[in-house]
Amino acid sequence: MFSIARGELVQIFRNRLVLLTTLVLPVAFSAMFIYLRETFEKVASLGYIAALVLFFVVAIGLYTTAVTTLASRRQNLFLKRLRSTAVSDRGILSGLLLPITVITVVQVAVILIVLASAAGAPSNALLLVVAVLAAVLMMLGLALATAGVTNSPEHAQVTTLPVTIGVLGVAGWVGISGTEKLAVLKRMLPGGSATELVLNAWNGGVRVSDSLTLLGPTLAWVVVAGVLARRFFRWEPRR
Amino acid sequence: MSSTPVIDVERLNLTYGDFHAVKDLSFQVARGELYALLGTNGAGKTSTLETVEGHRAATSGTVRVFGQSPRDRRAVRPRMGIMLQESGFSPDLTVRESVRLIGGLTERTDRVDRVLGVVDLTRKASTKVAQLSGGEKRRLDFATAVYGSPELIFLDEPTTGLDIRSRDALWDAVDRLREDGTTIVLTTHYLEEAQQRADRVGLMHRGTFHREGTVSELTRTLPSTIGFVLPAHAPAPPLPATREGDGRFLVETFGLQKDLHTLLGWAQDNALELRDLRAGPTRLDDVFRAIGAE
Repeated sequence: MFSIARGELVQIFRNRLVLLTTLVLPVAFSAMFIYLRETFEKVASLGYIAALVLFFVVAIGLYTTAVTTLASRRQNLFLKRLRSTAVSDRGILSGLLLPITVITVVQVAVILIVLASAAGAPSNALLLVVAVLAAVLMMLGLALATAGVTNSPEHAQVTTLPVTIGVLGVAGWVGISGTEKLAVLKRMLPGGSATELVLNAWNGGVRVSDSLTLLGPTLAWVVVAGVLARRFFRWEPRR
Repeated sequence: MSSTPVIDVERLNLTYGDFHAVKDLSFQVARGELYALLGTNGAGKTSTLETVEGHRAATSGTVRVFGQSPRDRRAVRPRMGIMLQESGFSPDLTVRESVRLIGGLTERTDRVDRVLGVVDLTRKASTKVAQLSGGEKRRLDFATAVYGSPELIFLDEPTTGLDIRSRDALWDAVDRLREDGTTIVLTTHYLEEAQQRADRVGLMHRGTFHREGTVSELTRTLPSTIGFVLPAHAPAPPLPATREGDGRFLVETFGLQKDLHTLLGWAQDNALELRDLRAGPTRLDDVFRAIGAE
């Protein structure tokens, strides 16, 4: 698994397009949000900036890159090649997704630390960590499921749009309007409860036990994505 | 050879929806053997090969490799090398990185430089796969298959796209592996390669074996041929012959040497020149054509 991960890391740094979507874009947009934090704080809260930054990185940097990577490795038969070795399917997928996941987590951590330094620390850092990990897990599951219906890296530009726009839209909606109205709907949408978890962790004012119940819908999305991935994921191109 | 087969396929069936790709196929491959799995287009040989390699699950029947299910990768893959029909390498990795990565994942050990030397890719070690020619990619594929000298190697159309020099070098490498007792399963469209090298041939047609056996067992079921052109004034030849036009005759025989001797003696006695004389044993090509004609 780790040698596959090492190979993937080498490829990320050799492919300018992947490097751009994985590293440069999320960091650039996050820098913009942090720079304009006072404007965004007036619209909503600091927690809103944290949620937007988190979902921007996990949607663009992690989800889109993961789908594109898996579709590309399938299209050029690299997945089949890896399956002709002694590594298990789980080991192959873990190896392929490990570098981009680690990069994402490190990026989010650095960006949120910068935000905290500039605008003040979150109320509950541990809860924030839980929210970030839940969001990462959900996007990884959705990436595996989406990769199943994605034929090529070019096709990924289309197939990733609904989830990318969806979670960013939900994060913006929940971040600005809160969950006083339409709470059930907002929490059930992908990214809704994770966004609320980030808001609670950063802004405070909500009991931890109440916040932790928000993990339920996020983890339910992980399960749904896992079931879809098991159903749709293919190791070889369609003939 | 050991009596325990390296590959044991028993009543293998593969279906895709309503399409029955492989029907009740059974065969064994002994240790040290070079077994050629040949077939007409769509005969089911790729499906069969991929099932034996462990890439595909059988619909019914049993497949055992080294006595185990080929789907059990950890148990079987360290002992087998697979040269796929198509490349399957990451274009952004170099040749050396690709061999190290894929070879290492087989859980066999070897020196990357040694393997690159076997396939004459040492000078390309630092070249990205994207910059290799089609033939060089095939050689890279072969390099990962022979990495760590596995006991069993699958060669799926290994010489497609290779120039004659690379082709000879590949077969030299295969010969050396065979001297060490390696078992080889080969598929190829170059029938002369199978004819020259295979210990046994499984000839597939419409999902099952049309024939299976040694090359001589397969070819002896069809007659050898003697072809020649006679002058217009010549008497009828001493053997049953088919006239093909332009004075050309074709004799089909199961006793090539005896009938050729008879024919040459007859020509000598009658002071005739047998122009464009061609005589030869039946080839796998002829067996293939016979299948197509059925």
